Amino acid sequence: MNKKPKILLVLDILSLVLLAVAAYLSLNFAPMEVTMGNVQKVFYFHVANAWVGMLGFIAAGVAGIAYLRSGNSKWDIVEVAAVEISLVFFLIAILLGSIWARPAWNTWWTWEPRLTTAAITEMIYLAYFMLRNGIEDPNRRARFSAVYTLIGAVSVPITFLAIRLFRTIHPVVIGSESAQAQGGFNMSPDMKIAFFFALFTFTIIFIDVFWNRIRLGILQNKVEELKLKVME
Amino acid sequence: MSIAPETTNYMIGGFVTFFVVFTVYITSLIVRWNNLKRDKLTLEELDKDKKA
Repeated sequence: MNKKPKILLVLDILSLVLLAVAAYLSLNFAPMEVTMGNVQKVFYFHVANAWVGMLGFIAAGVAGIAYLRSGNSKWDIVEVAAVEISLVFFLIAILLGSIWARPAWNTWWTWEPRLTTAAITEMIYLAYFMLRNGIEDPNRRARFSAVYTLIGAVSVPITFLAIRLFRTIHPVVIGSESAQAQGGFNMSPDMKIAFFFALFTFTIIFIDVFWNRIRLGILQNKVEELKLKVME
Repeated sequence: MSIAPETTNYMIGGFVTFFVVFTVYITSLIVRWNNLKRDKLTLEELDKDKKA
C-alpha cells in the first residue's frame, strides 16, 4: 500500500508534462481572439476544469450506486475521492469564468442560468462534506452519502444544459456556429488544438489525482482501523 | 481593422489562480499522506507494545 505503483508514478510525471504543454498551447500557440483579447486564453483551462469537475460528480454518483448495491466500503472511499477532487476542479472553473467575465461582461458575477446552476452544484457538494461530518456511524454515513451523491448528480446535467435550455449570455462554444451570446466566439483550427489538448490533459490529470486521492482514502481507513484496535 | 482590447492582466490572473489553487490542493494531499503514514507507524508500534 505504501509503495506507489510504477504506473501511477508515470501518470504523475505525464500529468505534469501535459500540463506544461497545455499551458504553452493556450498561452503561445493559440492565436489571440480579437474581440476579447488575451483573457480569452483562460477559456481553455476554464472549460477543461469544468469538464473534469462534472465528470467527478457523475463518478461519485456511480460510486454511490455501487455502494448501495454492494455495501462495500471501498465504494465509499471512491465516492469521497471523486467529490473532493471535483469540488476543487469545479471551483477553479468558476473562478476562471469569473475572471473571464470581468472584461467580457463588465462584471465579476451575474445570476444568469449557467453561473447560478454552477454555484448551486458547488454548494451541493460542499454540503456533502458537512453531511458526512455530522454522522458518526461509518455505515450510516456511507449510506446517506451515497444517496446524497445520487440526488446531487442531478445538478450536473442541469448545469451542463442550462446554456442550451434557457436564455443566457453565457457563450455556447461547442455546437454553436453563431456567436450570439456576449463573449461568444468561433474557434479557429489552432484554437481547437489548444482546446482539445487542454480537455485531454485535464482528463489525464483527473485520473491521476483521483487515483492518488483513493490511495489516501484507503490509508485513512487503515489508520482508523488501527486506532480502534489500539483503543480496545 | 479592429484593435483587440488589452486584457492581458486578466489572463495572467486566471492562470495564476489556477496554479495557486491546484498547487495548494496537491500540497494538501501530500501533507495528509505524510501525516497518515506517520500516524500508522505510531499506531503499529503502540499495537506491538500492547501485545508484548
